[in-house]
Amino acid sequence: MQSDLTLNVDLTRPLQESQRLADSIKPGAAPWDAIVVGSGAAGGMAAYILAMNGVKVLMLEAGRLIDEKTEYRTMEWPYASMRRNRLPPGERPIAIAEYNFLDRPYGANKTFENATKVLSYSANKFTRNWVVDERQHPTTGTPYAWVRARVLGGKTNFWGRGALRYGPLQFDAASRDGFDVDWPIRYDDVKPYYDKVDVLLGCSGTKEGLIQVPDGVFQRPYKLNCVEVAFKRAIARMGRHYIQGRAGVTTDGVLNKYRARCAGRGRCGRGCNIGAAFHSPTALVYPARDSGNLTVRPYSIVSEVLVDPSTNKATGVRVIDANTREVMDFTARVVVLGAGTLDSTRILLNSKSRAYPDGVGNSSGLLGCYLSEHIMGISGSGFIPVRIGTESTLDDGRPVSPYIARFRNVTDRHPDFIRGYHFQGGGGCFEYPGMAHEITGYGKAFKSNVRKYYPAMVSFGGFGEVLPRRENRVTINPRVKDAWGIPVLNFDYRFSDNELKMTKDMADSIEEMLHAAGAEDIKIGRTTHPPGYSIHEIGTARMGNDPKTSVTDSSCRLHDVKNIYLADAGPFVSGGTQNTTWTILAMAWRTMDFLKERMRTGDV
Amino acid sequence: MSKVTRRTALKAAGTVALLPWLSDSGLLAFTRLQETGAAPAPKALSPSQFATLEALVEAIIPTDDRSPGAKPARVADYLDLLLVESPSELTLQWLGGLAALDATAAARFNAPFVKLNATQVDAILGDISRNERHPKTPLEKFFVMTKEATIHGYYTSKIGIEQELRYKGNKFLREFIGCETQDGKDCPHCGQKARV
Repeated sequence: MQSDLTLNVDLTRPLQESQRLADSIKPGAAPWDAIVVGSGAAGGMAAYILAMNGVKVLMLEAGRLIDEKTEYRTMEWPYASMRRNRLPPGERPIAIAEYNFLDRPYGANKTFENATKVLSYSANKFTRNWVVDERQHPTTGTPYAWVRARVLGGKTNFWGRGALRYGPLQFDAASRDGFDVDWPIRYDDVKPYYDKVDVLLGCSGTKEGLIQVPDGVFQRPYKLNCVEVAFKRAIARMGRHYIQGRAGVTTDGVLNKYRARCAGRGRCGRGCNIGAAFHSPTALVYPARDSGNLTVRPYSIVSEVLVDPSTNKATGVRVIDANTREVMDFTARVVVLGAGTLDSTRILLNSKSRAYPDGVGNSSGLLGCYLSEHIMGISGSGFIPVRIGTESTLDDGRPVSPYIARFRNVTDRHPDFIRGYHFQGGGGCFEYPGMAHEITGYGKAFKSNVRKYYPAMVSFGGFGEVLPRRENRVTINPRVKDAWGIPVLNFDYRFSDNELKMTKDMADSIEEMLHAAGAEDIKIGRTTHPPGYSIHEIGTARMGNDPKTSVTDSSCRLHDVKNIYLADAGPFVSGGTQNTTWTILAMAWRTMDFLKERMRTGDV
Repeated sequence: MSKVTRRTALKAAGTVALLPWLSDSGLLAFTRLQETGAAPAPKALSPSQFATLEALVEAIIPTDDRSPGAKPARVADYLDLLLVESPSELTLQWLGGLAALDATAAARFNAPFVKLNATQVDAILGDISRNERHPKTPLEKFFVMTKEATIHGYYTSKIGIEQELRYKGNKFLREFIGCETQDGKDCPHCGQKARV
């Protein structure tokens, strides 16, 4: 029977090509200098830098290849299908509210017994073939909305495009408020790499001179729309900065044949099919492959890193083929983990040997500790008077909404909490008038009220720093295994008093700002989202100069074994409020610069 | 943390996630119907139930001077085809709601809902929408459920997007313009001045 063509895109090509590569790339098929695990922001950047510098790289991706031309359906209208944008029968995303009250593992819950697939909250019609089935990828412990994508490019295929830099307020956070420790490196150590990332990948934004979110090498910025200008003017009077969104999207073009400049269509979260938005496959993996130095093996699930006890060096990694379950050991001079903060940590924790009984990299006992991310869910919305009752304008042809820069604990000290938060949001005419659900009544009055308020809507969502705390951690649960027999992560992660006090202030402050903007019908959401919702997980392999209190050195190299490197956000000491991806890219570049120099001098 | 209300849970679940999925055959039927403008061929609902639902969704989002309403936007077909694969309790809830609507119409005006005039429809909808924020009776709940689904079906239809909202995005632009104050002009869309 013919199925829904808007839903079941033809994956024959990427599936056949994935199979061909998995069949042909076996241990010993070629000598590789470096193994890179993962193909998202971290793995993609690591492989790109190494391959472009002449290092022979084997990239191991747990999922399949992607055919971005078919799978990124950027401009599809909702009425192309009667299912609109929802999932097919049986495929069930976990609702946000369900994470906190359903038992783990989520996929085993009775609530989902009639589902054929249980997917994370971020699964939709466009991402459903990329995000993992929770049944195959269980977790245990405290609630955690862990979004994973196993496909070439990982989560960069649908990331939020917020390209913000960490700044001195992050790298020297402890010096400022006395909590925990500083990073062992400073903003100035990373700044050149942020600059390089901006130039290589394209970043749109405006120079603002704010310490809380340092400027970059920006391409043409996106403008504010009418309601946003009104809001900016209102909160400027409070001394607050509402600035254009900074997007990991090229507006002026980049030197990359797989990418064109932004055409202002919006909908980037489905994947940008002209490659204007940064997605790892088009931006990093394909150019690296074109160098002739990169081999990509799909369907390669890395279960552990192999360490030779006689040399205390990693010899390679153990791979379980996702389809055949064949176990293969791939070898190389160096191993770079970029499987995502939590999956890289899981691989290390599962890499047990006589020398490293608690996992390699875990001599300090801190591997898995200091998990942090951003607390989200606090929101505010209202209608800005200057656009009530006006005709629609084109307001949503941008990849990100504008940004209210952090204003707490920048120059002052808040009495109730340390660190801070920012808001992202904006308004105007979006394709779907979500505000219609909040308008009461029926009939012509209802319909004209929707139309009247539609262009005037603004809404904002907060991102608050979760303090890095040792007790927030993941460990291995040896009793629960994934579909390939690999022990899974157990979460022990909770928001602390600091976060909860901060969220109260977030809600009060967005209400205050909406009032200042003269917004009508202000609604404040005071419910926090479940842990993990931000998808900004960092910190579980923190860097430091002392091997007793950290997992990696300041070059993201394990203290325990000197030829294992981390390219993702595991080494990050604290994460501010900024979206994580741009810092992953900059740090991965910096780490690979260090590594390639070691390889050149024969030190690896 | 505040408690999870039904409304927030519903929104979190994607508003109408409680609705089921279309079968492939149902979907094909609908696609044909959209293309040809063919007469409705309801599957979950009987012709009279379908007619009642059509009247109800049109009363919630009616045709007016600006654009066609929920009936021409085929919102009832959308709902019927979704109900085809409903868990039976949800289908029964919907059928029960339609029956209760007719029963109310009969009790008050001695006619089924589809036969009521505009004033009579308004009297009934005024009643059952009164506690929209906190519906209690089965009919009040049925109203909220139908309204949520009607909003979704209507504003994702071509009529809803193009004719009613006059949505202008999802096209290739040379540059995103935004508020014209950004270019140093007084903005014709919002009336804000270039300089504050």
